[in-house]
Amino acid sequence: MGRAYSTIAFDPAKCDGCGDCMTACAQAKTGTIDRARSRIQIVGRGDTIKDATKDATEKAFELALCRQCADPKCVTVCPAGALAKDGASGVIGWDASKCVDCLLCTVGCAYGGIALEEATGHVSKCDTCDGKPACVPVCSKGALTYVTTANIYNEVGDWEDLFAPGLAGCQGCNTELLMRHTLRRVGPDTVLATPPGCVPGMGSVGFNGATGTKVPVFHPLLTNTAAMLAGVKRQFKRMGREVTALAIAGDGGASDVGFQSLSGAAERGEQMLFMVVDNEGYMNTGMQRSSCTPYGAWTSTTPIGAGCAAGQPAQGKTQDAKNLPLLMVNHRCAYVATASTAYMEDLYAKLDRAIEASKTGFAYVHVYSPCTTGWRFASDQNMEVARKAVETNFVMLWEFTPDEGLNFTRPVDDPLPVTDYLKAMGRFRHLSPAQIEHIQGKVEENIRFIKRFAAALPA
Amino acid sequence: MSTTTLEKPAVGAPTKQKVMLCEGNEAAALGVALARPDMVAVYPITPQSSLVEHVAKLIADGRMDADIVDAEGEHSVLSVLQGGALAGARTYTATCGPGLAFMFEPYFRTSGMRLPIVMSIVTRDGITPQCVWGGHQDAMTVREVGWVQIYCETVQEVLDTTVMAFRIAEDHDVMLPVNICLDGNYLSYGTSRVELPEQSDVDAFMGAKDVNWHVALDPMKPMAVDPLTGGSGGKGPATFVRYRKSQCRGMQNALGVIEAVHAEWASRFGRSYAPLVEEYRLDDAEFAIMTLGSMTGAAKDAVDEAREAGRKVGLIKIKTFSPFPVEALMRALSKVRALGVVDRSVGFRWNCGPMYQEVLGVLYRLAREAGTVLPAMSFIGGLAGADITIGHFHRVIDATERLLDGPAPNEPVWLNEND
Repeated sequence: MGRAYSTIAFDPAKCDGCGDCMTACAQAKTGTIDRARSRIQIVGRGDTIKDATKDATEKAFELALCRQCADPKCVTVCPAGALAKDGASGVIGWDASKCVDCLLCTVGCAYGGIALEEATGHVSKCDTCDGKPACVPVCSKGALTYVTTANIYNEVGDWEDLFAPGLAGCQGCNTELLMRHTLRRVGPDTVLATPPGCVPGMGSVGFNGATGTKVPVFHPLLTNTAAMLAGVKRQFKRMGREVTALAIAGDGGASDVGFQSLSGAAERGEQMLFMVVDNEGYMNTGMQRSSCTPYGAWTSTTPIGAGCAAGQPAQGKTQDAKNLPLLMVNHRCAYVATASTAYMEDLYAKLDRAIEASKTGFAYVHVYSPCTTGWRFASDQNMEVARKAVETNFVMLWEFTPDEGLNFTRPVDDPLPVTDYLKAMGRFRHLSPAQIEHIQGKVEENIRFIKRFAAALPA
Repeated sequence: MSTTTLEKPAVGAPTKQKVMLCEGNEAAALGVALARPDMVAVYPITPQSSLVEHVAKLIADGRMDADIVDAEGEHSVLSVLQGGALAGARTYTATCGPGLAFMFEPYFRTSGMRLPIVMSIVTRDGITPQCVWGGHQDAMTVREVGWVQIYCETVQEVLDTTVMAFRIAEDHDVMLPVNICLDGNYLSYGTSRVELPEQSDVDAFMGAKDVNWHVALDPMKPMAVDPLTGGSGGKGPATFVRYRKSQCRGMQNALGVIEAVHAEWASRFGRSYAPLVEEYRLDDAEFAIMTLGSMTGAAKDAVDEAREAGRKVGLIKIKTFSPFPVEALMRALSKVRALGVVDRSVGFRWNCGPMYQEVLGVLYRLAREAGTVLPAMSFIGGLAGADITIGHFHRVIDATERLLDGPAPNEPVWLNEND
C-alpha cells in the first residue's frame, strides 16, 4: 500500500516575499491577478518582510497552503461531506455541491490551507492544478518546488515491521524509529542481538517469556555481543544456511565495556552487521556518561555543580568523545559508515551496502541518535536536533570500504556554527563561552582530521 | 609419539584401540576430537596452552572437523560458544585460573541458559601471589555456578572423561555445561600411556547431536532467548524460581546420568571408573583419607604401604564434585570412623579446604540419619604446584588415625608449609 504523494515544498530561506506565486495562482484559478484570491499565501512576520537588511533566514516568511494532510482535520470537521481526500493523488478535493459554507474547515486547518474566498463566498483551497501547480514555475528564487515525498515509505511501506507495536520507548524516541526501519530493511531471515540498553529495555526482547520481536532475538551480555553473534553466524554458515547476523547495540556497551569483543570480532572479520545506536551515554540506566559522551555534556555522572576546588566548578564531561567509527575503520572492516535518522535515504543506502558487506565480512554502522530524555529537548524535536548535528559538522556522514577508502556521503562545506546545535538541548545549557569555543574547535579539528585521514586511504 | 595397536579384551563390544604416549593436554584434545564438536574457541593460558595448540593442530591436519575461533580473550571464547550452541553447535573450550576468572560473566550465564558446552579446566592456583602452577583454586572458586565439574586422576581418564562429558552435558535430563578438571602441571604435562578408541566406536557411543532443542536462535523458529523476568509484584520472580529449581533438578539428574554414561563407556571400551566416588580399600577400613584429582595416585600408594604395616586405612576419591555426590559419600563414609580430607585449594571463609567444608554437610546428614558422628579434619596441600608426596600422605594417614581416639583439630594442616 505504499504511496508517495507529490506536494508543494517551501524553503523560507529562499523566499524574498515577491508574491509572484500568488499572482500565478490567482490567474490560474480565477482569471484575475487578485492575490487575495490566490490559494497559496506567503505571509510575512511583521515588518521584516520588506527589510532588505535582514538576511533570508531572519525574514521568516511563512506559507499558508493546503498540505494535503494524511489525516486531514478539514475533512474530519466538515459536517456536509464536502471535503474528501483522493486516495490516488492524495489531493483533498472540495465539492461545491455539498458545501454548506459553514467554514468549520477553516477552523480545523492549522496551516491556513483552506480559507473563505470573499469574491465567491465559498472556501477555496489548493488542488495542485492536477499535478502541474501554476505557482511553482514562476518562483524565480527556487523557494517553491513540487516534490514527491515519502519515497522511503513508498518503497518500504509494504515491508513487514518486525517489532511488536507499542514498544515502550520514551516519547519521541529516535532509537525505536531506527530499529523499526533497520529490521524492515534487514528482513526476517535474521538473528538479532540487542545487548542491555534502550533497545531491549523498550521491550524488543520481551518480558516474562513474551517476545517483542518477530525474528529470533537475544539479550547478550553488555560485554559480549559481537562474540556471541559471531558464534551464531558461524554455526549457520557451517550448516550452509544464509542468515543475517545483526546487532543493535548502544554506544556504551560498544565503546566501553564491550569494546574488546567488538574489536576482536572486527579483526577476525566475523560476518555480521553491527549497528551502534549512539545516544552518547548510558541512557537506559539513567543517562550516565559513556566514552561516546561529548565534551561539556551534562550526564547524571558528569553533573553540574560548584565543585570542590575553588574556581573549578563541575561543568559536564571534561573529555572529548571517543571516535568509535574511526576506530572501526582502523580495523579495516568490510564496511564502516556513520548515519543519521535525519537523512533516512542516506541511512537506507548505507544499510543496503552494510547488509551486502556483512555476507563476507564485518560491517559496522554508527547511527547518531538524539535522546529526547537524556539530552533534554522536547520530544517533537528529534529530527531537528539530528539534522542540526549534521548541519554544524558536529556529526559527519561518511562511509568506508577498504577498496574505496573513506568518502563523505553528505558533505557540509558551509556548516552552521556549533552553537546552533548546542542550544537545541538542555544538556549543554550550562556551557561557558570557553567550553563552546572548545567544542567549536574540536568540530573543526575533527573535520580536518577525517579529511586528512580520508586522503591517506585508498581511492 | 610412538603408537602400536593392541586387541582389547572384550568387556562389551570388542574394540581395537591405538596405544600411544601423550601428555594430559594432548589426551584431552584427542578426546575432544573423538566427540566431534562443531565449534571450538581458544585462547592460551598456562598450563592449558598446549591443549588448545593440540586442538588447533588436529583441525589444521584435517583430523578434526570443527570451526576454530581464535578469540581475543576468554570472555569472548565462551561467548562465541554460547552463540554457536544456540545455533545448534556442539562446542568445546578450555581455560584455567585468571582466564576462568575473566570469563566468569558468560560462565555464569552458560548454565543459566542450559547450554551443554564442555570446557576443560586445566586447574591452576589462584593469584595473588603470582603463580602459574597447578592447584584447584580456580575450579573450586566457581563451584557454585551450576556447571557439572568432574575431576580426573590419570591421563587416560582425561581422554575418556572428555568424550563422556559431551554425553552428560547433552543428556535431555541434564542440559548443563560440564567442566572436566585436570590438574595443571601433573596431568596437563604428565606423559603417560593411553589407549585411543576408534572413531567409529565413539560415534556409536555418542549418538545423535541435539544441543538446542530447548532454546535456539533460528529464523525457522523465532523466539526471544532469555527475555527479562519481571520484578516483584508480577509473575517474574515465580518464573525465576521455577527456572532455578529446574536447574537444580538438572544437577541432581546429572548424578544418575554420569553413572549410566560411565557404565556404558566401560562396556564399550573396557575401562571403568568410579563415576561419582571411588572407594579404595575401604570395606574393612577403620578410617579414610579423601582425595581429589591426580594426587590420588600417591595417596593410594601411601594407603597400600600403611596397609602393609597393618593399619586399617582406606581412601575415598571424589570424581564428580558438582553435583556433590551426597548419597554415594554417605555410603562410603558410613564404613569408617574417622576422616582426613586433603584439599588442593583454600576455603578462605572457614579456614579449611573447600572439599572438607562440603563434606561436613554430608557428615551432618550421616549424624542425623545414622546417628554416627564422624571426626574429620582438613589438610591443605599441593598449592602452587607443590607435590603432595607419599610422605605427605603418611602424615595425613597418621593424623587421621589419631582422630579415632583423640580430639579433632579445628585448624587445617598445611602439608607443604615446611617443605
